[in-house]
Amino acid sequence: MIGVIREFVNRFLGRGDATIAVPPFDGALKPNQKLEEAEILFECAAPEDLATDGRAIYLADGPRLLRLDGGSATELRVFETPISALAALPGGELAVALAGREVRVFSEPAAAKPRVAFATGLSAVNALAPAPNGVLIATDGSMTRGVDDWAWDLMEHGRSGRVFMLDPRTGSSKVLANGLGYAFGCCAKGDGALVGESWRHRLIEVRRDGSRRIALPHLPVYPSRLSPASPAGYWLTAFTARTLLVEFVLREPAFRKRMMAEIEPRYWIVPRLRSGDSFKEPLQGAHIKTMGVIKPWAPPRSYGLVIRIDADGAPLYSLHSRVDGVNHGVVSAIEVNGDLIMVAKGPGRILKLPIAPLDKEFGA
Amino acid sequence: MSDDVVLSLNKATKLYAGIPAIEGVDFDLRRGEIHALVGENGAGKSTLTKVMAGVVILTSGTMTVDGVEVLPKSPLEARHLGVAMVFQENSLVPTMTVAQNLFLGQERFYNRLRGIYIAAQQFLQSLNFDVAPTTAVGALGAAKKQMVEIARAVLHKAKVIIFDEPTATLTPEEKKYFFDLVRDLKKRGVSIVFISHALEEALLLADRITVLRDGRKVVTDDASKFDRARIVQAMVGRDLSHTLYGVRKTTMRKAGARVLTAQNLKMAPMVKNNSLSVFAGQITGVFGLVGAGRTETFKIVAGVLKRDFFYGGEVFLRDKPVRFLVPAPAVRAGVAYVTEDRKVEGFFETASIARNIYLGLMSKFPSGRALLSRREANKVGTDWIEKLKIRAIGDEARVVELSGGNQQKVVIAKSLAQEPDLIIFDEPTRGVDVGAIVEIHELINRLADEGKAVVVISSYLPEIMALSDRILVSRQGKVVEEFSALEATEEKIMYAAIH
Repeated sequence: MIGVIREFVNRFLGRGDATIAVPPFDGALKPNQKLEEAEILFECAAPEDLATDGRAIYLADGPRLLRLDGGSATELRVFETPISALAALPGGELAVALAGREVRVFSEPAAAKPRVAFATGLSAVNALAPAPNGVLIATDGSMTRGVDDWAWDLMEHGRSGRVFMLDPRTGSSKVLANGLGYAFGCCAKGDGALVGESWRHRLIEVRRDGSRRIALPHLPVYPSRLSPASPAGYWLTAFTARTLLVEFVLREPAFRKRMMAEIEPRYWIVPRLRSGDSFKEPLQGAHIKTMGVIKPWAPPRSYGLVIRIDADGAPLYSLHSRVDGVNHGVVSAIEVNGDLIMVAKGPGRILKLPIAPLDKEFGA
Repeated sequence: MSDDVVLSLNKATKLYAGIPAIEGVDFDLRRGEIHALVGENGAGKSTLTKVMAGVVILTSGTMTVDGVEVLPKSPLEARHLGVAMVFQENSLVPTMTVAQNLFLGQERFYNRLRGIYIAAQQFLQSLNFDVAPTTAVGALGAAKKQMVEIARAVLHKAKVIIFDEPTATLTPEEKKYFFDLVRDLKKRGVSIVFISHALEEALLLADRITVLRDGRKVVTDDASKFDRARIVQAMVGRDLSHTLYGVRKTTMRKAGARVLTAQNLKMAPMVKNNSLSVFAGQITGVFGLVGAGRTETFKIVAGVLKRDFFYGGEVFLRDKPVRFLVPAPAVRAGVAYVTEDRKVEGFFETASIARNIYLGLMSKFPSGRALLSRREANKVGTDWIEKLKIRAIGDEARVVELSGGNQQKVVIAKSLAQEPDLIIFDEPTRGVDVGAIVEIHELINRLADEGKAVVVISSYLPEIMALSDRILVSRQGKVVEEFSALEATEEKIMYAAIH
């Protein structure tokens, strides 16, 4: 009863869960244009995820599995459905998630048949990561919505994300955590995993015994895939930044319901991976352009961000593509031979930045 | 005596309880000159000017105005002699309007309010001061109160105007107005004496500079013959130019855990959608012009002010939402706010140093203490007097008897006794002498080195740049730009603060 009264008061006063507030981009998250300065390695229609075994870089482009060789790509195979996640396993194996509903493990990328497949109970697998003892960690964004329908899940306040531990040796799977606000991105940490919880704007550490710890709360962005960084720590991608407008819509159930029923989904007020394609796009009450020039600090319709975090989850520095940039919707970043290779899903680009100068510039 | 000397003091001595505040000071002020008085707190600058303004009567020595020996016994007498003073602590009546304050003491038998307002409006406009004459003075900020003080002195058509720290509360743009005004007064033949701790102002504005130390005159010379190092050396008797703002930061501390996050904080009309973070182990400098909402933002954090009732934004302390309605819970949560206005909010001036510090400590206990221990108070007081090198006649000295720098140290000690994790210094060295500034800066650096989250709000750019690891620039109620210590320049910061 007290909870109900508190919720009513909070809604009335705009406090607690009803606060419409977004954390600032400051400290280690101070904006720059580093992603705009990145070399464009490759362009394709629907890049989704990257994986590396230390030698080759694999790229998921829609249903195609590609191997990147410098500025060109070789098609290794084409699946029947789009690839939603990739992970290279020790021993040259490759794990592939297809349309979020199935995870197949191949002994080598071009192998005709999978060595093992997991299909039961999966709904929106969007990230895979190798873990010690040959197991695979997978994040399943939502039990109710498919992997491409993440905007629906956000608008419905989805809290059905799960983290799985898949064992390719036995074919068994185990749920490590559930009830997450869109689990997106994972990386092995200790005996568990560091997991991105997009709709709650945070990273959590999930241990093998099921216990959880908030590793990095109150992010001004929606976190997505993670990958290990050398010598320690992680690269965290964020597919877009939070805005007051979306936060406001998320607190207005009647408006949301009507918007979802009556408006074409591409014009909804939701986070975007790219923007500027149509004048019908929703605007926030702020000046996007001044004298015909897009203001970099305007409320973002879409945004590009990669955050370097330390082993405990604290941000060290970040790479941005601001509102006036193009390389938005970064959903994957991996470290290969001293370079950071990233997928900017918005413009369909694979980007490359050398890491040593970044570490030097930001004093990491 | 030369004809162009409008006011002079000869062997001026003022004793308080047998102790000299000024001793044997010779001073002369030429017609139409700008004369800066500089010196550490307690050097006797204020006493010297108060003698000229009739606030203080000389114990021995003489004063002449236009070659005639005078002894003004009140400010009114001094004003009749053509000497007016703009005081550091303003002497306006807060419940009266700006116009009424301007004409206070000049009322006629029948006063038409509308006429006063029109005259005041015209006069303020002629000075380029943006102050509404119908506003009650109590509702004005410190800078605007200062403007009214200055306007009143100008209105009285004095031939000598004395300014005590006139620019301490003014923004850089307001300072420019003030400097133009002073130069304009000079052109009209008015002589100006001004006291300032900002040595650059003395060098920039003054024709001659007099340096006082320990109540005695050290030197008077043309401003062109001085530089910053020479003034500082004359003031303190040692060279501090390299320890005080002199060396540019070449390294910065790494950020620790996020201690404070303010998200979309609102408090009409001063704080508008303000968001910022503060990290442990770093000094976060907050720069902005007066009215940029810096003080108000951090007063909300510390529970001194309340944010908007509806949709006022969020404050997170160590990633947990907090809403302090009064300062006590903030103190208990580890937040200390060192006020910019120490005389009003900082201490009980008639209480001893130890008692003031002990009271700060008391606010940390959830429901106070039933019994107060005099012994504990003395011990806490003695410890902090030693730690912060507070110079006083004795432990039982009242705070009102201390110099500005030592008063500021008492205010800081009062907050540090609470063992906070987040310490917010609001204008920590305003009205503090250079010797104490160095000590306060060392203390602030030491706190950050110990891993505390430190915020320094300052309107003085060299101070912000000398202390901060990261600099937040505030404008019109929100943080608009962030610079690291290594990339910040005065030009970049000022550009962000103004444009």
